Amino acid sequence: MRLRLSTGPHLHATETTRSLMQDVLIALLPAAVAGIYLFGERAAVLLAVSVASAVLAEAAWQRLAGQPLQVRDLSAAVTGLLLGLNLPSSAPWWLAVVGSVFAIVVVKQLFGGIGHNFLNPALAARAVLLTSWPARMTTFFLPERLVEIGGASAAQFGDAVTSATPLAKGGTAIMDLLLGNVPGSIGEVCKVAILLGFAYLLVRGTIGFHIPVLFVGTVALMTWLLGGDPLVAVLSGGVLFGAVFMATDYTTNPMLARGQCVFAVGCGVIVTLIRQYGGYPEGVTYAILLMNVLTPLLDKWMKRRVYGEVKQHA
Amino acid sequence: MKKHTFAGGIHPLHGQHEGKAATRGKPVREFVSDSVCIPMDMHLGAPSKPLVRKGDHVKIGQVIGEAVGPRGIPVHASVSGLVTEVGLKQQLLSNASMCVTIQNDFADEWVECKGFGNVETAPADKIVPAILAAGICGMGGACFPTHAKLSPPSGKRIQTILLNGAECETFLTSDHRLMLETPGRVVDGLRAAMRALGVGRGVIAIEDNKPDAIDAMQRACRGREGVEVAVLKTKYPQGGEKQLIQAVTGREVPSGGLPMDVGVVVLNVGTAAAIADAVVDGKPLISRITTVTGAVREPSNLLLRIGTLFADAVSGCGGYDGEPGKIFAGGSMTGVCAPDDSVSMTKATNGIVVLTEKQARSQTQLPCIRCGRCVDACPAGLMPYRLMHLCVSGDLDQAVKENVKDCILCGSCSYICPAKRWLAASFKNAKEQLARRS
Amino acid sequence: MPKANKPSLRGVFLNGVFNENPTFRLVLGVCPTLASTTAALNGVGMGLAATFVLVGSNVVISLLRKFIPDKVRIPAFVVVICTFVTIVQMLMQAFLPPLYDALGIFIPLIVVNCIILARAEAFACKNGVLASGMDGLGMGLGFTLALTLIGSVRELIGSGSLFGMNLLGAAYEPMLLLVLAPGAFITFGLILGGINAITARSQKKKAAKGGASA
Repeated sequence: MRLRLSTGPHLHATETTRSLMQDVLIALLPAAVAGIYLFGERAAVLLAVSVASAVLAEAAWQRLAGQPLQVRDLSAAVTGLLLGLNLPSSAPWWLAVVGSVFAIVVVKQLFGGIGHNFLNPALAARAVLLTSWPARMTTFFLPERLVEIGGASAAQFGDAVTSATPLAKGGTAIMDLLLGNVPGSIGEVCKVAILLGFAYLLVRGTIGFHIPVLFVGTVALMTWLLGGDPLVAVLSGGVLFGAVFMATDYTTNPMLARGQCVFAVGCGVIVTLIRQYGGYPEGVTYAILLMNVLTPLLDKWMKRRVYGEVKQHA
Repeated sequence: MKKHTFAGGIHPLHGQHEGKAATRGKPVREFVSDSVCIPMDMHLGAPSKPLVRKGDHVKIGQVIGEAVGPRGIPVHASVSGLVTEVGLKQQLLSNASMCVTIQNDFADEWVECKGFGNVETAPADKIVPAILAAGICGMGGACFPTHAKLSPPSGKRIQTILLNGAECETFLTSDHRLMLETPGRVVDGLRAAMRALGVGRGVIAIEDNKPDAIDAMQRACRGREGVEVAVLKTKYPQGGEKQLIQAVTGREVPSGGLPMDVGVVVLNVGTAAAIADAVVDGKPLISRITTVTGAVREPSNLLLRIGTLFADAVSGCGGYDGEPGKIFAGGSMTGVCAPDDSVSMTKATNGIVVLTEKQARSQTQLPCIRCGRCVDACPAGLMPYRLMHLCVSGDLDQAVKENVKDCILCGSCSYICPAKRWLAASFKNAKEQLARRS
Repeated sequence: MPKANKPSLRGVFLNGVFNENPTFRLVLGVCPTLASTTAALNGVGMGLAATFVLVGSNVVISLLRKFIPDKVRIPAFVVVICTFVTIVQMLMQAFLPPLYDALGIFIPLIVVNCIILARAEAFACKNGVLASGMDGLGMGLGFTLALTLIGSVRELIGSGSLFGMNLLGAAYEPMLLLVLAPGAFITFGLILGGINAITARSQKKKAAKGGASA
């Protein structure tokens, strides 16, 4: 009889890095399906290209660097899919490739691989694409098809038209914003799909509710204070997608709940400030990236009270 | 009813009824093996000195090991028969232990025992000596000599005695069955301890996954002075001494301090039952209830003589179910691995769990993804992911600054970690290094 | 300094270009490195201007090294350096106005380029005129080489051209980021990391070889 020896615990939770990533992929599925429905096969091709190139880039890097192959943990696939969903459907395929490779190689692997990147890889890549090819990244096609419930849609779109900004102008019906009958990035237009994914992540316990809720709540409150329409602000652009899928990235947000709350509120404030006063029409990417950079400091500042810690009397 | 709990914690094996389903409904049955091998160092403190030699004949309850030092306790023969060996043998501890092996003659000859008959009438100052004479140490796993726990230094005032019936560890149901089947003994033991210390309040804390035990204990408490039952939420490590005190009294044991610093003494329910036997009947601690479960044919709660070999205990449960991959004493969270099945169960062995080869396979460590689950789980309020980094990289001074010494080694962080990192193991290692340093 | 330890002029020169390359080995003068490498030509211009100042100041400081009191040596060095920077600035303004416009403020800022002061302090004030001049030349060319490399990469990817010549054709859509400030950091970091990786590998190989032969 050969018995194994180890210190406890001898049995572990069934949750693994891979299962967590798998849950995120499943949660992204509704947004991806909605994007493909709305924007047609172009969107499907883009998503496939960005996922494939992210996975290949990770595998190639790990091979070249002589590291154990870890693409099976699905984190590269998540990064690729997030990036793809953040592209406009008008984007050429090479944009997805460049973005994915940058996200995986420069942002993730060069800083030490999974768990060590200080920026959200997909968002950092998106920022790079946005600065490098601003016209490509802000040419939004209107949906090819509309999601219609009872034939009542205020949006009247013919063939693909180019729109200047992804942010809804006044007068767009809330229903169209919710369903995704607006121009925008592939994954972020259909809010219903995003909320579906959010619900799945909550039920599975993959993420907590406080980051998305505080993020979105702050945007609504700030917009209202500055005289805007909070509902339109929340439902347009990438706020919801960013709050649910980007700001909740484990690696790049603080470890303590308190820190996460500050992080989320910070994101919301920066988004609104960029939207209202900044040079860009949308600021979710930069808001989350800026708060990513602040995360190590938040972790440093926020101390946990240790059990039995005696108050120091000076 | 108000349910007590603490901050942090996890729900291990939640989908599998904490691994307890196989044995929680099984009444305790006695199993006596052909021979026992009794270690002299079952308690925390100096090992006892063997008083018998090979070839001696011993009776049940006969002192075979003499107490050494203030924290020493005597060891008693748990079966009657012939001493076949006195020598060193590898047990669960890292170094080999001095053990006395007795061949059971099944005559069940007892030495003469004289108790006080009733815990309420026993002279209060005679209770602690009776506990010492009975060789009782903490039966929840810590093995701390009970007489020492009940002799606080002058100046420390104890207000509450807490009986730990949480049994938050996975797989174990021995305390559950004990409370269900002999609740009166548990209350007797608690009363004896209360009277010994002159304490007015005794609380029996039980997790809410044992409603039948709560019911039984509540009935047994009726009409007894100063004792009550507190219901705890089912959460691991609810039965950790510090967590239990926080849950029931709302007080926190100061960092580096002892429960008596907040006026509390915590005893295991099994210890209480042993106290009752010692005070009422004058019987020494020679047997205990042990849950034998996992990959065995017939998982059971066995009343085993102290010193029964794991192999014998397993054969008492119909033998192994398949090839065993790992055997440990205790639950799956903090259980101590046995090198083989020839080791003995001790006064603290509340469970013997057998894992299959497949369950026992170690999992590869992956990089930390900073998910924060360990931070949420840590009942001590530590930052396990950071501490592990410090401990592994050898920066023990910084680890001490970040309170590694407050880690209670409950294993919650390792259990919950999706990257399967060896967090608790690294803290254990660090604490051992620190202990050697000082 | 004992004679036996004096390195050869060739050694001093090559040391500046490769072994102690100011940009990739000493990581000095990062500010002009980042700012003036938007195109290969700018890199060359900045590099040569700095080389001129380095050689000039190294020679003059080496000549004056016996006369400059130790306590005021830094101000004295700076005065010498400023003189040469002013000369290069005026020359450039007169004969290379497009480059002068492109480099802008970074020409007068050569004064505070730490490579120049570092070489004055670490080499010129302790060594002979010839060696100091050679050190200035080596360091300057090393700096120029590094700037040209970074500038080429940024120009090629960020504008699709090299030294102003369109290389990648009209179909290529330049990656604007690389000619912007973040692109400078990313390119510099990647090249620096790449060189370190190559050196580490070759050193490991050398160590393995040495171990085998020994």
